Amino acid sequence: MLNSPLFNKLLAQPKLLAKQLLIGDWFVLLASLLFVIYLFNTLWSNEYATKVQIRLGDKIYATYSLNQQREIHVHGKLGDAIISIAQGKARFAKSPCHTQYCVHQGWLSRAGQAAICLPNQISLELLGENKLYDSLNY
Amino acid sequence: MPRDARNDGRVKILKLKPTHIQTTADDHRIAKLAAFAIALHMVEAVIPSPLPGVKPGIANIVTLYVLYQYGFATAAWVSILRVFASSLLLGQFLSPTFALSLSGAILSLAALWLAMRLPKKYFSTVSLSILAAFAHIAGQLLVVRLWLIPHAGVSYLIPIFALAALFFGLINGLITAKLLTKM
Amino acid sequence: MRKAFFYCVILCAIIFGAYKLSAKEPLYHSQSYVFGTLVDVSIYGETDERAQLLANHIFREFQNLHIRLHAWKPASAVRLSELGELNSAFTLGSKPMAISPDLANMLTEATVLSVKSNGLFNPAIGHLIGAWGFQRDEFTAVNIDEAAIKNLVHAQPRMTDLVVKNNSIYSTNPTVKLDLGGYAKGYALDLAAGYLRKQQVKNALINIGGNVIALGQHGKKPWRIGIQHPRQPTAIATLDLADGWAVGTSGDYQRYFMLGGKRYCHILDPRTGYPAPHTQAVTILVPPQAANQPQAGVLSDVASKPIFIESADNRSKAAQAFGIENFMVIDDQARVFVSKEMAKRIHWVDTSVKFTTLQ
Repeated sequence: MLNSPLFNKLLAQPKLLAKQLLIGDWFVLLASLLFVIYLFNTLWSNEYATKVQIRLGDKIYATYSLNQQREIHVHGKLGDAIISIAQGKARFAKSPCHTQYCVHQGWLSRAGQAAICLPNQISLELLGENKLYDSLNY
Repeated sequence: MPRDARNDGRVKILKLKPTHIQTTADDHRIAKLAAFAIALHMVEAVIPSPLPGVKPGIANIVTLYVLYQYGFATAAWVSILRVFASSLLLGQFLSPTFALSLSGAILSLAALWLAMRLPKKYFSTVSLSILAAFAHIAGQLLVVRLWLIPHAGVSYLIPIFALAALFFGLINGLITAKLLTKM
Repeated sequence: MRKAFFYCVILCAIIFGAYKLSAKEPLYHSQSYVFGTLVDVSIYGETDERAQLLANHIFREFQNLHIRLHAWKPASAVRLSELGELNSAFTLGSKPMAISPDLANMLTEATVLSVKSNGLFNPAIGHLIGAWGFQRDEFTAVNIDEAAIKNLVHAQPRMTDLVVKNNSIYSTNPTVKLDLGGYAKGYALDLAAGYLRKQQVKNALINIGGNVIALGQHGKKPWRIGIQHPRQPTAIATLDLADGWAVGTSGDYQRYFMLGGKRYCHILDPRTGYPAPHTQAVTILVPPQAANQPQAGVLSDVASKPIFIESADNRSKAAQAFGIENFMVIDDQARVFVSKEMAKRIHWVDTSVKFTTLQ
């Protein structure tokens, strides 16, 4: 087994990768990697969200505080979707869409996170406080 | 009988026209390659994806391969044909999925058109594949942003898409390089 | 060989770049409910684990202090606080009571500050505060007992009635009831700031119910504080706090009740016995103080009260008594007055705010 040609081929893979890539490829790879990391850094905030904005079609349907426990029924293009809010999180609990991608996305809790149900044209987006300051004096 | 002779000729033309479209070797090649790309596209459509929207895009291997072997025009034909035919076969023609596919294909072709000018000495298929993958995802996100859900909600998904583009772009590029050296 | 070296360099660059870009801002933030208010600790530049330990220590210290200094007995409490014991002893007569050294120091300092404020800052008027119903967890309108208030003012409970000697204390006036509500938060700020400095923490921000003290800065920028608008749910302005600076606000919007369309806030004028009527909010900014003086935290808590209570003409004088150069007053007409020094530092959130600079 250890002497099989397949195994040898697998062993040779890293070398093969190094041989395949030219200087320019490394450059592209490096630039792309930095770009992806940059995207993660800027678009994925660590900030916890305080509100959830629900959009229906191209309009804002409603904005709710995440500091509550409730279920919201929204009538979308295909039918009724249920959105749950609980303890700073929000999710699609039920959706009439075929794919159920939105439901599978599960709980959202950080600012900027979004769950989108394309077929039913409903989307959730979590909003954070745009912080003007570090702390409030009152 | 000049009249009959003319008639004969006319009949002959009428008979031949519908059955014999003049096709070149190029057309046959495009058709064959496109069929192959369509097959890969269909396979991918059936495989469930762990994350909606994230797909390896193995059909792009064909586009890239064709670009190197037969030039840009053929690659563009194969790519666009693949998008149209696959959507027809999957019953998604003119649906949002089709729009996403088409915009992705067009932008990735544009990226390839630019990237093929890079010196071959330093940039292999891997570079082109990665750049095309990024352009592909950019095209799709553009459609999502401008047409399907016109607000900033998708921004959270961009890093994931970009990471997937980088990963699959690299893999597809390596596979294409391998194919090119073998064939 | 050269090629391999080249790849290594590029790989290192990738890893370094990735590390640089992915390094999250080392800001730890924690909140807790102590002193009957929200306490907020931000620590910058420490690991999350260490920052959490430090913050938890601070919360525990605050909780201890709160239990010891509680001015009234909550329904849930089994026994009186340390301060409560003193208060009940004061009413019984002038028999000296044992007192812990740090509490003795607090009371001595509070007495000095009370004298400096001409009695406008007066922690000895606990009975008066109780009569107005502000010694409860929730504030509801009370029947204003004019006679009782008059009596309590007339009795003139003052900090100077206290005699602290050899770790014991007694009051020469049985109507003295200590309520350190306008002092304890500031004291706790200084305590926490001192603790963090001792623990070699360079950058932190502590907010106790709106009184804030800063250590170092927030990365490359100074800590930025929002100042609450007294009538709107937004910040009216922001201030940058340099190392060791503290900011404090006295407002009529945190503890108050409405009666007959009139607002009665918790800041009482000891001269009249009634809530100070002509101010919505006073914000002061306090620089670090000399070691043997009352510290910035205490001053940020104490020195805003006399400015709040004083009439319009005497506000600047009240500020001067504590050496406060940076202050902002929003009066009952919602007019905004800013001291000359403060005008240089304040940034208006709503740039259309009209304000008068005091000369």
